[in-house]
Amino acid sequence: MSIQEQYRKKAAELLSSGEVKLVIGYGSGSTPDRRRALFARTADDAALFHVDAACDANLSGYLVNEGLLSDKKKIGIFLKPEGIRSVNILAAESQLDPDQIVILGFTEENGTVSGLQGTQASDFTSLMTALKENRTTSEKEQALVDKIEAMTPQERFAFWQAEFEKCIKCYACRQVCPMCYCKRCIVDNNQPQWVHTSSHTLGNFEWNLVRAFHLSGRCVECGGCDRACPVNIPLRLINRRMANEVLDAFDHFSGMNQNQEPVLASFKKDDPETFIL
Amino acid sequence: MSKPFEPKIVAFVCTYCTYAGADLAGTSRLKYPPNIRMVRLPCTGRISPMFILKALQKGADGVLVSGCHPGDCHFTHGNYHARRRWTVFRALLNFTGIPLERIRFSWISAAEGVKFAELISSLTEDIRKLGPFEQYKAMIHETEAPVSL
Repeated sequence: MSIQEQYRKKAAELLSSGEVKLVIGYGSGSTPDRRRALFARTADDAALFHVDAACDANLSGYLVNEGLLSDKKKIGIFLKPEGIRSVNILAAESQLDPDQIVILGFTEENGTVSGLQGTQASDFTSLMTALKENRTTSEKEQALVDKIEAMTPQERFAFWQAEFEKCIKCYACRQVCPMCYCKRCIVDNNQPQWVHTSSHTLGNFEWNLVRAFHLSGRCVECGGCDRACPVNIPLRLINRRMANEVLDAFDHFSGMNQNQEPVLASFKKDDPETFIL
Repeated sequence: MSKPFEPKIVAFVCTYCTYAGADLAGTSRLKYPPNIRMVRLPCTGRISPMFILKALQKGADGVLVSGCHPGDCHFTHGNYHARRRWTVFRALLNFTGIPLERIRFSWISAAEGVKFAELISSLTEDIRKLGPFEQYKAMIHETEAPVSL
């Protein structure tokens, strides 16, 4: 039985037994190679789920929809390892109760999908440890990082200026991100207005800086922002650089478990401070 | 004849240490350049990275952030939190190409009036050498927002 069949069956069982009220997964998208979120409430709906290499969205963002979990009922959700990490972060930040989440985990490697053992976020601890040990970057991405790191500050500034110039402030990166759950985003705040809301280069620069800062130590690098960006700004690159920074400086790998302290809301007395005069 | 470049530097300081240190520098009649604009805050923990961005947005050529030495925080650990935040934000600024020479961080206690005066002098000199932050100013100019500080 293919992995897709197994997971459809599993989802149908969860729904028909009443263990979960809803299963969030992937359904057909607008083209055959695309998937979009599918919300199954009956066992029949579960037959529409897809589990394949095209399922790349991190669905965990749907879990923090207002009121979705307030009835204390469980919800099933299809998640890749990044998604499980974001559930851990959401739990650590008191946005949800991880006991209410039944995880249908899967992972994709070179186009083949395989299932993950476990149903609770806490079942994947060893997987998280392995992810931390073996952080991978695609060659293309690494090449770009190397290129940027080798630039002078002026060149880097010009590089990002050219990238951010394209931004149209659609905030798709924010909407798609499971970590951007604030009811009122700082960019929507106009008293005081920290960030220019118009999409001129300065406003775009500030917005993208703020976004990257708020995600540092929280981003799980699911790549949702990259895929959502209509003008292809390499947003994940900045997030990845920030993730490297918190890993190097504070040994923090976001989403390890549901009790992990948020990196910027905690400290150690011997944190590095080489740059402070 | 054009006037020599005078950098505008914004300093975000904690009221318990660096502000008192600046006070000491003043009462000790120590001389330091008048290029600094101090913004006094209750703690370095109150200094949001947004402040730094705002200072740049309003045309600052340099930014100084300064507070109590680790262990000396009036609120016991505000500066430890601030330290983490700075580490991350500094890396972000570096990655996006804002020269780190323009954004400085320091610990200055209430007793270190001399350190304060020396730091302001050396910082002003450094930024004078770097010149105005033209790249950022070009962006500000594009917005046609009035630049005043």
